[in-house]
Amino acid sequence: MKLSTPYLILLPLLCPVVSAQEQQAAPAAPAAAASVAQPVAPAAAPANTQAPELFGVEFPLLDPASDTVSYKGGVFDVGNNAVVRARFEKYLQQNPDVSEDARRYREKLEELVRVTQRNARSGKAVGGENMVKIGHGLYEMSEYPPDGGQSGALASAMASALAVQFANQKRDRENDKLQAEIDELVSHTNRLTNINTGRGGRTPGASSRGNGKGKASGGNASNTNSVRISHNTKKIAGHEAAQVKNDAESTAALALSKVNYQSMLVSLLLSRRFDHALIGANSYRHIFRDGDTTLKLEKDSQADKLFRNTAGMPPTVNSIASAASTARREVDQHMEAVNNLLEQNKLSDATQHLIEAVAVGEYMSSVSTFPTEKRRRIAEYWSLRRRVLTSLNARDYGTAEEIAKRMKELDRDFDDAMVMSYCAGKKQQSDLALRNAVKALQDGNDEEFNKYITEAGEIWPRNPRLAEGRKKLETIDSHDPVKQEFKTLISRSEFRTIYNEQSRFEVVAVDPELKEQYRDAITLIGTIDGMLAQLDVAAQQDTVIGPCMAYEMLLDKKKEDERFASDPLFTDALNRYALAGHDFVQALEQAAECEKRDELGSALACYYRAQCIYPGSRMARAGAERVSQLILQARF
Amino acid sequence: MARRSKRKSRRGNSNTSMLLMMAAVVVLVVVAGAMALKPSQREQTHEQGQSFSVEDYRRDASRFTGNVYRIEGRVEHIETLGNDRIVAVAVPGNRQERLPLLVRSGAAGRVNLTRGDSFLFEVECCTGHTDDQREVKGVLVVRHVETK
Repeated sequence: MKLSTPYLILLPLLCPVVSAQEQQAAPAAPAAAASVAQPVAPAAAPANTQAPELFGVEFPLLDPASDTVSYKGGVFDVGNNAVVRARFEKYLQQNPDVSEDARRYREKLEELVRVTQRNARSGKAVGGENMVKIGHGLYEMSEYPPDGGQSGALASAMASALAVQFANQKRDRENDKLQAEIDELVSHTNRLTNINTGRGGRTPGASSRGNGKGKASGGNASNTNSVRISHNTKKIAGHEAAQVKNDAESTAALALSKVNYQSMLVSLLLSRRFDHALIGANSYRHIFRDGDTTLKLEKDSQADKLFRNTAGMPPTVNSIASAASTARREVDQHMEAVNNLLEQNKLSDATQHLIEAVAVGEYMSSVSTFPTEKRRRIAEYWSLRRRVLTSLNARDYGTAEEIAKRMKELDRDFDDAMVMSYCAGKKQQSDLALRNAVKALQDGNDEEFNKYITEAGEIWPRNPRLAEGRKKLETIDSHDPVKQEFKTLISRSEFRTIYNEQSRFEVVAVDPELKEQYRDAITLIGTIDGMLAQLDVAAQQDTVIGPCMAYEMLLDKKKEDERFASDPLFTDALNRYALAGHDFVQALEQAAECEKRDELGSALACYYRAQCIYPGSRMARAGAERVSQLILQARF
Repeated sequence: MARRSKRKSRRGNSNTSMLLMMAAVVVLVVVAGAMALKPSQREQTHEQGQSFSVEDYRRDASRFTGNVYRIEGRVEHIETLGNDRIVAVAVPGNRQERLPLLVRSGAAGRVNLTRGDSFLFEVECCTGHTDDQREVKGVLVVRHVETK
């Protein structure tokens, strides 16, 4: 991902807090949360497991295009990161920094920024007076507690750099002296050499008269000159060595001083002290006057990549100044947008801009002086936003929908479509899994049931139907005694008891074996009750034929299915109708008895008697036909 | 002597009276016993000196085996097998009963048994057998039919 220079803002506040473990533990927010915040989507670990470091500190990169921060190969949502969230909430609950000290501090800071910018534009040397003024101003600002000692640290860095410059200047002066001595020694040595070779000049003290004596004395002088020449040569070499040593020390001290100063500038940029970074960067060329502003960044470090990627050129101190200036501008623009959006009651966009402004420029004047009333409005909306995210992360889609509706009420421009559709989809998924679980339960497939019930719970843990299902499961778990009781009642043919307590015995229907028995028992008693109700009406309408008809029908049912006789209400009704239709019943019974004794004449007469009482009697007609046929077939 | 003879004759007359009275009592007892042994007189049909009770017939028709009765009744229902018929007749004074009568082929002679008409049936209570040797007891078999 290509990041433009202004937006590559370093957020050191995350560095000491966000650990790799936290990244793994951070719940993955659903994509639907994108409307309120970008989802946390930890990327795959980088191939190079060794994290890049700058000055021993790892730092994240903010990408405002997606409101995400890159850190250790992972991408985190600014609005859904615990640390950012905590910082932002702390900011919202703070009072605006509008004290007199704060006002003076900001005025001083602005003045120093203006001074350094003016000096930078002038191209002239700042001079000791201005540097002293800047230093004093910084030290003065460092006494303000919220400054956090940053101003003092910058002033110290400047002082250290200047001290190194002074030391280098001293070494330069020493080298100049040494060079003067070297020049004098070289001149003296040259003269002695000329004397020795006789090309000019005289040895001091030597006589030009008397050749032999002169030669002897000339030889002594030559020896003396040689010693001096040797001495001078050694001294020149010593001086030159001292010069080289001074040069080396100056170079090393200068390089070290630059690294220290640049590290301070980068540190200020990292800690979002853009004003301080700008002051330091603008003062750089007045402290280091060699014209070399190249940043001494470790190769392939994050900072190196940052500046190299953004500019495509070797990074310089001006890159820091540029980044700081742009960040200041961006923060001010964010805050301007926040104010405008709040006036239009667009809380969602205002919150988004404010969190970006706070994340980037927490110490900026426009951010720290943001009014309390506006902070509270955004705090309320932010609280709802956080609860939506929390609900989504917790997969509490019902609550998320309610909060989204509330947010929509507060801000009509809030786009709740994704949240609502996402929640609806998840709820449907959960319900579908539940339906499958119920089906598996009905089929007695425990494995499938466990699979689907787990799936439903994972998708939407607070699904109200899940709670209902849990109650049913608890009922099922405790249904063993009920099952035993049911079996006992079935074995005793006490279907009426099952029917009367069918809601209690309904749970046995989960057992396929008992399901059929349960259904049969309910059906049987239901049939009996319905039939008895109809017969009762018929018996009341015709007190002669009605009971006979009822008796015959009940008797038929009893013969069809012996379970009818086990029902006490059925038996009671049968006895009641037998009593009411006594003559009819007696005739039928007498006919049956006579038929057994082969008294077919009597039997037929009895059936006729029964038919006379209840002409529609099927039993009497069938009996009469049966006996008649026997009589007709007999021989007398 | 005359007194004695009168007295004796009186004694002889009183003995005769005693004997007559005893004979009358015996006759009454016999008659009462015979009456007691006869079927109920509540539902009677005419028979050659005997009554017929449908209710008694329903209870135990075998008791009537061998008896011959003349029964008046209205034909209510006819069951047919070949030329044989079983006729259900309603006896006068008892509409809640039907008496089954077996009318063999030719037993009715020229009389056409139709439903709703009353006839005089001469019947005999018989016991028969089916082809599988099952007894068929107490069946009133019509011997003769007359139109009333």
